[in-house]
Amino acid sequence: MSKIITRREFVKGASMAFLGAAVRFPQESRVGPQTARVVLIRQERALDATSKVNEDVIQQMLDEAVMRLLGQDSPAKAFSLLVRPGEVVGIKSNVWSYLPTPPEVERGLKRRLIEAGVKEEDIGLDDHTVRSNPLFQKATSLLNVRPLRTHYLAGISGCLKNYIMFAESQPDLHPDSCAELGSLFFLPQVKGKTRLNVLCALTPQYYGRGPHHFNRRYVWAYKGLIIGQDPVAVDAVGLQLIMAKRRQEFGPAQEIPPVPKHIQVADRKYGLGLSDLSRIELIKLGWTEGMMI
Amino acid sequence: MPSRVFIFLFCALMPLSGGTVTDFAKLLPKAILGWDAVQKDAVYDRQTLYDYLDGGAEVYLAFDFKQVFVRKYSGPAQNEIALDIYDMGSSAEAFGIFSCDRQDEEAGIGQESEYGPGLLRFWQGPYFVSITVGGDEKEAEKAILALGRAVAPCLGPPGIKPGLLLCLPPAGLRPNRTSFFHGDISLNNRFFIASENILGLNRDTNCLLAEYGQGQADPAHLLVVQYPGEGQALAALRSFLRSYLPEGLETGAAQTENKKWTMAKAQENCAAIVFDAPSREQAEKLLSSVQFPKVNRP
Repeated sequence: MSKIITRREFVKGASMAFLGAAVRFPQESRVGPQTARVVLIRQERALDATSKVNEDVIQQMLDEAVMRLLGQDSPAKAFSLLVRPGEVVGIKSNVWSYLPTPPEVERGLKRRLIEAGVKEEDIGLDDHTVRSNPLFQKATSLLNVRPLRTHYLAGISGCLKNYIMFAESQPDLHPDSCAELGSLFFLPQVKGKTRLNVLCALTPQYYGRGPHHFNRRYVWAYKGLIIGQDPVAVDAVGLQLIMAKRRQEFGPAQEIPPVPKHIQVADRKYGLGLSDLSRIELIKLGWTEGMMI
Repeated sequence: MPSRVFIFLFCALMPLSGGTVTDFAKLLPKAILGWDAVQKDAVYDRQTLYDYLDGGAEVYLAFDFKQVFVRKYSGPAQNEIALDIYDMGSSAEAFGIFSCDRQDEEAGIGQESEYGPGLLRFWQGPYFVSITVGGDEKEAEKAILALGRAVAPCLGPPGIKPGLLLCLPPAGLRPNRTSFFHGDISLNNRFFIASENILGLNRDTNCLLAEYGQGQADPAHLLVVQYPGEGQALAALRSFLRSYLPEGLETGAAQTENKKWTMAKAQENCAAIVFDAPSREQAEKLLSSVQFPKVNRP
């Protein structure tokens, strides 16, 4: 069922093929959309020299990206396509101490949800306790927001992996490079509820060391957000960015963090979204220096 | 200086032998160079390690990890140092987990160590120690190194490295670049081979990955895997050749896309593979120089 990808594919420079070929499930089984739109937005002023986040700039980036993603001319119109007044909405964030979701991004999303008619008391913001959080238990919509980083097992931690806290047992999702992460999106608490995925690439981490898989040497100020409604497409773009940075720092043989097969499995096995870059419409906005992808 | 002498003498007189990592709570400093211990100390075992290491637990569980003692120190500007002392069950395992992630300069702490901005790693006896800071590395550097020097004498006597290391040919071996491990997670994070576990690595296999070559040129890699039995070694060799080197099914050798040579063989209960040797002759020479441990036969 699956094709074994070896080091030799990377040596051949065929690693891009990895994205499409790592797992061979019949593409015809896909019943969802055949294309996906992802917005990559960057602003030089998003962070200052000490990596302090500029909240005003982050709000502008979120607004512009979501407007462009949904083809609307105001943030209010764009967010009103995502949620309805009176809904209960969960913002699934990430509290990993070394590289958490920036509160400025969380607040930016919350601000727009309120403007779209969601009551503040009906907005949940959580990570580790989403399963028992009453707001997440009642939520009819979810926003998925987290930083982009590498991961020992999954290759990268992106929007797909961010839902692992909805699982009854997280270690059960770890075998085979966390290949089955896409299944999380079919849990009753989650299924059909994700309206927006925000992958924070403000200071992405391209390599990990030590027990905690973190060292500040391996993050860089990219100052970007990767935003889309398709979590697979968002993660596929995030993986491209990590690969580009690793290629720059370590060379082609080390460009792929081992082994991000869950992105392809989410596409080919679960039909959750698109991992094939040729079918992803990537809209790039803002600061272009060092864009890398 | 007197306090440093006191810590050394105190720890030297009370090495942690026969106890558990919980005993470290009494031995280790509560404050170091203006950084103070905060929160309660914590201990995690094989069942609870997931609660502490987000995504990294399997790396330790692939070794004979027993427990980890954790103490956090708070310093200026909310910066926090995390001290982790891992009881790896034996000195061979402690060396192993240390060796898999090695790339910084030696820091002269414990049996072997390395320090790079914000991260000190060393091993001593059956213990592997990591001291790291999430924020300003420069600000924390002196405290991290001082803490390491205070911890090392508390860990008891030195231990020995894995005996399998003796099989490596010494000629051309790059110093401090040899890893000892068991599972494919460790292998792929150090040197990606394949998206599937084509060598059948698990907790029962002992693996060495070593680098060979002079100067700045890309090194050749020698992987030696010791299996519980000869049959498993042979099966792994066949699996590897089928998946990775199909053109070498007959000879065990082939030139790969980068114009370098990969060569594999099984002997005794081991499989050995040379990756990226500059020539077939060099691959053959390296492979034939491996001193495979003898299997005891009745």
